[in-house]
Amino acid sequence: MTTAGGPSSSSLADVIDTILDKGLVIDAYVRVSLVGIELLTIDARIVVASVDTYLRFAEAANRLAIGSEPKGLSDLVSDVKGSGSTKSKTKGVLEGVGETLGELLSGSGSEREPAPRRRRK
Amino acid sequence: MTSADDTDIEEAAPSAVIYVYGIVPADVQPEEDATGVHDAPIEIVTHGDIAALVSEIDPDQRLGTPADLQAHAHILDGTAHVAPVLPLRFGAVVSDRDAVVNELLAEHEDEFASALNELEGFAQYMVKGRYVDEAIVREIVDESPEASSLLETIRDQPEELTRDARIALGEIIGHALEAKRDADTRTTLGALSPLTDTVTVREPTHDEDAVQLAVLFEVDRQDELERTVGDLAERWEDRVTMRILGPMAPYDFVVTPKPEG
Repeated sequence: MTTAGGPSSSSLADVIDTILDKGLVIDAYVRVSLVGIELLTIDARIVVASVDTYLRFAEAANRLAIGSEPKGLSDLVSDVKGSGSTKSKTKGVLEGVGETLGELLSGSGSEREPAPRRRRK
Repeated sequence: MTSADDTDIEEAAPSAVIYVYGIVPADVQPEEDATGVHDAPIEIVTHGDIAALVSEIDPDQRLGTPADLQAHAHILDGTAHVAPVLPLRFGAVVSDRDAVVNELLAEHEDEFASALNELEGFAQYMVKGRYVDEAIVREIVDESPEASSLLETIRDQPEELTRDARIALGEIIGHALEAKRDADTRTTLGALSPLTDTVTVREPTHDEDAVQLAVLFEVDRQDELERTVGDLAERWEDRVTMRILGPMAPYDFVVTPKPEG
């Protein structure tokens, strides 16, 4: 198993998960369809039980440090401590909101203008 | 409605067609420099109280790069900050601006207007949790005597010799992960229940997904959502990494009626 996805790669993945199979489908409303869409090959919804998956899980377990010397765990603990205990962890989550949008904004490389604003009624 | 021998009606392909992002109230105004798919300027096509966010697109140019997907999401999510928006699925294109009005807005004015009205003040948030993979595997092995003993069997043994034990161990871990995902999803739903019941559970898309919930929530109360998810994150800090995404367009809460005929 890989480690939990870093934010930089998950941003596009989040977008893909969200916009490819969700949202109103215009074909139901409008007869005119579509530009040929060349989609990336996407393996969404792929949590499939297979021998390969099992072998991967087993290997992940095999990589765990042995019981009495939980090297992995102490790593983890020091990580948490290093990041300044629960407070900053929570803060990390909260900042995630802005951060993720920030990624989206900068995701395509070019600086995009903020999206529409509203002329209040 | 159409017959198979109508083919010669088609004329030369137009040089630009109209890409539609979503439906908004007519008082939404694109930023002057806002650009969308293929860096085309965002325009708004209004009809009465409702409008569509659109941009021109060359029908011959490929669509579907990461930048295209992000441009689509960016326009919709940026709008969701300030106004209700009904997102269209990625890739919706009509022939021209008149078609936006005649075929999309005018025909569905009432349902779009009432949906936008209901969405006023709300946006979607994604609440996502990802297992910390080493911690969750350890948790599973620690909780299962069978898994622990299988782990002893394969410890430092070559894969060729321990294949069956590895598969058995992996299977236990796989099933345990599913059970934990279910339990942790229920816990998250429980934590959110005092705030809202407009929540949709998304299927996992990754082995280590713990929780994937779409939540429709008041933008003004976002801090409450953050606090609730923050509490969970604190409680699970060594095993699940929690994130909130949003505000975004309510992708998981719009429903396309079945076409008639």
